Amino acid sequence: MHVPDGFLSPQISVPAWGAAAPLWVWAVRRTFGASATESLPALGALTALAFVVQSIMIPVPGGTSAHLTGVAVLALCHGPLAAFACESLVLLLQAVFFGAGGFTVLGVNALALGLLGPGAAWLVHRALRRLSERAAAFSGAWAGLQVSSLAVSLVLGLQHHLSSQYMPVPFPVVAAAMMVPSLTVVGVVEGLYTLFAMSLLRRARLLAAP
Amino acid sequence: MRALACAAAVVCAIAPLRAAAHEILHQVQRGRALAVRAFFQDGQALADQQAEVYSPADPKIPYWRGRTDRNGWLAFVPDVPGKWRVRVVDATGHGLDTQVDVEPAIGGPDSGAPSGAGPLGLALRPVVGAAVIAAIFGGLYLWRRRRSA
Repeated sequence: MHVPDGFLSPQISVPAWGAAAPLWVWAVRRTFGASATESLPALGALTALAFVVQSIMIPVPGGTSAHLTGVAVLALCHGPLAAFACESLVLLLQAVFFGAGGFTVLGVNALALGLLGPGAAWLVHRALRRLSERAAAFSGAWAGLQVSSLAVSLVLGLQHHLSSQYMPVPFPVVAAAMMVPSLTVVGVVEGLYTLFAMSLLRRARLLAAP
Repeated sequence: MRALACAAAVVCAIAPLRAAAHEILHQVQRGRALAVRAFFQDGQALADQQAEVYSPADPKIPYWRGRTDRNGWLAFVPDVPGKWRVRVVDATGHGLDTQVDVEPAIGGPDSGAPSGAGPLGLALRPVVGAAVIAAIFGGLYLWRRRRSA
């Protein structure tokens, strides 16, 4: 889902870095600060799982594939700022060590996948959890993935509008290619993964019962 | 925590099965492609013109479709030897429609290994990434504990 290097011009990647940098400082201080020591093992396990599930491809019709993000569960259990910090770490490792995504587009990817999506998941979960905890978790994860997918496709569409040299494919094509699998298959699997992970965390007593 | 660790182990175990599907790798083979240049009698190239290549194995459906470059060149990678048909169509109605002999030496199946990460590297990526993250969080946790002690 994340944008690779070379698909976005500095007109987009530089402002995104500018917006993400102060948020990274804030999120890292909150998430990895002295007061958060006891939550580090669970955060580390969920971040490692997020890295792994982002490596597992789900085949979707049309000859392409998609993957989960595994970030919604971080947002629901530890808040959207923790999800932003942890997903940024995942994206950084992918970019630096494995050539997936990229360093110049790290700001865009972190904001879309680490902040907007998990933020939406957290908001939906908070709004619905009084009705049903499980439905709220599933809906939050599903909605978070849609927001992330839409954000990435909007950025790519904006890039096509600004300069098709970087992104030759127009927004309608990008949006359809990203949103159809996301709405139908990947969002559902992300919701199920989130339910499963939260259930395991509760059994391991790393998460309070609802 | 044991259940979470078991789940992580299961996910790590199955991840390499699908990990190779999403990334775009590349393969470089020198001397594998065949290049054809289209130009007018005065040497002027048929630049940026529509071009098609038909394999002897299927003379109806184009094997390759694209445009010539600024110097009138097109290049394709034949997969079988024989007579390949090359068409270059100028928007003004000029064009080239010829046959090119492909020798068995270059018209064979792929023989080189893809560049970049091999299958083992791809399979190990999720495991290595998870291990790096575990090391980062573990180190941070121990450092915090020692400072607070």
